[in-house]
Amino acid sequence: MMGTLASVFTIARWEVKRSFTTLGRNVLPVAVVLFLLLMLATGFTAQSGMHLQDGIYSLGIDDPGLSAILGGDARFRVFSAEESTLQANRGAYDLVIIQGRVLRPLTDRGRAALKTLDRDYARYVSSVYNREEDLFAAYPLWIDLQAVKSEISFDATQSGQYLSLQQRSGEPPVPGGPVEAVATPAPQLPVPEDALREGLKREEGTPDQISRYTGLFSREPEYSTFRTPSQLSPPLPFDSIIFVFAFIFPLYFTSQFFMMSIMNERIERKGEVLLSGPVAPSVIIAGKMLPYLLGMVGVSTVVILAAGAPLAVLLPLVPVILFFLASALLIGMVSRSFKELSFISIFFSTVATSYLFFPSIFAQVHVISLISPLTLIVLQLQGEGFTAGQYLYSTALFYLTSGVLFYAGAVNFNAERLFSELAFFPRVRDFIAASLSRDHPFRSVFLMNTLLIPFIFMVQMMALVLFFNLPMPWSLLLLIGAAAFIEEFAKSIGVYTLFFEGDARPGGKTLVLASVATGAGFLFGEKLFLLVMLTQITDSVFGSILFLQQGILLLWMPLLLHITGVLVVSLVIRAGGTRWYLPGLMAATLIHGLYNLYFIMGWMR
Amino acid sequence: MNTRHIAIIAKKEFLGLNHEKTILLAVLLQLFVAMFSSFLMVGLTSMYDPSSLSTATRVRYGVGLTGANTTLDQYLGERADFQVYRMDLSTGLAALKERKLAAVIYVPSTPPDALDPVQVTLYSLQNDIQTAVVQVKLKEVLLQYEEDLREVRSARLSATPREVRFPTGQRSEGFYEFVFGLLVPLLVFMPAIIASSLIIDLITEEYQHNTLETLVSTPVSFAEVVWGKVLACELLVPVQSGAWLLLLAANGIRVQNPLPILLLVSLSSLALILLSALTALHYRERTAAQFIYSTALVVVILVVVAIPGNPLNVIVRAATGAPGMDLPGTIGIVGAAALSLGYVTHRYAQWIGQRVQNGS
Repeated sequence: MMGTLASVFTIARWEVKRSFTTLGRNVLPVAVVLFLLLMLATGFTAQSGMHLQDGIYSLGIDDPGLSAILGGDARFRVFSAEESTLQANRGAYDLVIIQGRVLRPLTDRGRAALKTLDRDYARYVSSVYNREEDLFAAYPLWIDLQAVKSEISFDATQSGQYLSLQQRSGEPPVPGGPVEAVATPAPQLPVPEDALREGLKREEGTPDQISRYTGLFSREPEYSTFRTPSQLSPPLPFDSIIFVFAFIFPLYFTSQFFMMSIMNERIERKGEVLLSGPVAPSVIIAGKMLPYLLGMVGVSTVVILAAGAPLAVLLPLVPVILFFLASALLIGMVSRSFKELSFISIFFSTVATSYLFFPSIFAQVHVISLISPLTLIVLQLQGEGFTAGQYLYSTALFYLTSGVLFYAGAVNFNAERLFSELAFFPRVRDFIAASLSRDHPFRSVFLMNTLLIPFIFMVQMMALVLFFNLPMPWSLLLLIGAAAFIEEFAKSIGVYTLFFEGDARPGGKTLVLASVATGAGFLFGEKLFLLVMLTQITDSVFGSILFLQQGILLLWMPLLLHITGVLVVSLVIRAGGTRWYLPGLMAATLIHGLYNLYFIMGWMR
Repeated sequence: MNTRHIAIIAKKEFLGLNHEKTILLAVLLQLFVAMFSSFLMVGLTSMYDPSSLSTATRVRYGVGLTGANTTLDQYLGERADFQVYRMDLSTGLAALKERKLAAVIYVPSTPPDALDPVQVTLYSLQNDIQTAVVQVKLKEVLLQYEEDLREVRSARLSATPREVRFPTGQRSEGFYEFVFGLLVPLLVFMPAIIASSLIIDLITEEYQHNTLETLVSTPVSFAEVVWGKVLACELLVPVQSGAWLLLLAANGIRVQNPLPILLLVSLSSLALILLSALTALHYRERTAAQFIYSTALVVVILVVVAIPGNPLNVIVRAATGAPGMDLPGTIGIVGAAALSLGYVTHRYAQWIGQRVQNGS
């Protein structure tokens, strides 16, 4: 044990030494200069603003004083002219204001301009009211937002029932449970007037980049639950999200260095010396990774301290760091050339970043946002914090997937794989085959499918995002098709790599057993995953019991489906050879898709 | 300089890209970014505000109203999307917890002209997307009520904002500014970013795989090698950007001035590719070159975007067809920058080529 640790540290020292000799001499000074320039540029841009949409609208006004309502919005080019001239040349402007009345716009651009003007005007109005001596004459109405916890909401939607807030009958609803007596709220504001005024002014001062496009969202007012009606918008934790990027960028760069270090071992078989040493591949990987891991944690700590954020933010970052490193390891091991490394890594990091970033937008809106660890950071930054259960829920996926990826990297870290000249897909296949045990084929297929579940969930989430844009029947059909394809593809990987290697033709009994192992492993992983997730986020035991009952009752149907899918693929390959893999996969997808469609349709009926 | 040599090198790089097929990932990535960003905009907006799409659904949300009688009662009752029930607070909250209501509103008996504000309490469900939708709808009603109260207290206000009346019943043009002001420049410039990162790989690969001496020992000069690689990367840009413009047109988004836009993008990307080639020639090692170049790129983009009338702004305005922009002037300036970078790259490559041939 001590010996292993010593080897890890030795390799880590080598790694640091080597990366400093390659990077140190002429990169570090330039990097420092660039970093300073970056600071300056950020400051410059923050001061001058983004001039991307300058002058896209033209506005004709009869009274030059009216340009005050724009509040210096550079998107408008303002022309003042006589009323008659404006009337005559109405088509030359996107918008025309005559005697305080905006004329109906004629073009698409005009309608877009109208929306922008509407928002500018609202900002102008509030800037006038914010300066009023009598704040409660300008803002006579304050709304105290009180969140009420519903006992059944999340479990009910999970078990397939859609409990809607919509009302059909005219009769007032009668609560089924006991009615608790609630005292009426006190009529006075418990917040001092100055605090409210400060908050209003702060909001006015910040030009909001996001609300430019939607006008729907507002940043969280920092003072308690009190809002004016115009502040009553879906909360978008914009500042926190921007801040989150400050964490992700250094992680992205550092993982690039690690990726490249792995790749360098493979160029011209340089890593042969390292591999011929008396240390296990996992030790080499751990040693090479350690400096980058420490570096990432160090940089994150510096960012946290510099921003004055709580150190607890580091906790959700750890699984993200591990995930980035694990993927960097595999990408560095798989790519054949630098350009392939670039393409794969850019693609991977964009997809991973959007996966991380997207749910955190809903940080205040829905529990499902917790699937991203970044949501925990947002919550922490907003001073709400998170519980151990929430932490487990949102990071389990990342710990699990990183573990699987590290395992795949470690078993493939040998001369045969690293210096292979094979094309991308055969290489990937080799990687997977090496991760499976030939002595216990069924057990490893079962385990592999269980472990694949987190990846499948991630990919299906992305498919949901992609197909959302399409019109309704298509988005649903494509989503069902894509979900079925992803699952069938994932299930077929194990059987395909283990039983059809080379020209092997396994017997029918083996295939049936393998399909049963695959289907069972898949279902087991899926249910286990859902159960862990559900019990973590619902406080009541009620929910998980409900889910379990329903799960056991309906377990044999999906099990049969999963087994049938793999069996179809493997039988088709057995009959027609590996060339028939894709058609077999399509057939299985079709069966799976029809099954899903039937149940969703039945559920919708 | 032999153009045939340059073409041979460019062809070699294309064959390499074609062989590996992973450039598809780069194309897929652009598609992903486009769909993802529109998902964020269109999806979120329509989710929180269903009426922003033309097919507004007629759903009625149950609202429990309790406390004093005000004009709020009347405004809520006028709305087709609310079903209002007068009930006492405790019953309302119990029904809300069982999801039989969407919201409960308590209105205090504060007189409209009081010195204190009217503090309305709005109870809604925690962590529920439908709650956000209901709040967006209630906001409109509450704004009406706020206007009434402000009217009553208007004598206490010292200044009144200038009045501007907006046309009513206007079909809202939801995503024009997002599409033209953000998506179009993002899409046409993404190929340029990818191409400029690609050239670093192409150049450093020759150094790190020790294939440079072999290459220079052929009749092809080192400068020609560099230009061949630049050409291969540069040709990818207008093809991809043009494909984006066609795809946008197929989606009903007509981008004006497509040819000048493509010219401007091609010239800008040439400047970026040359900048990136210089970095690669200097460092001869991928990690360092990519790191320095991408950091420098962020600095350049930040500074450029902060300058009024920058090329990106010109592209946005050209795409919307807004008059009054200096398209030829911008093309001239960017072209001159690319030209001078090209000269520097050429001289630098010649110098390196001589050193390699002399064996130092």
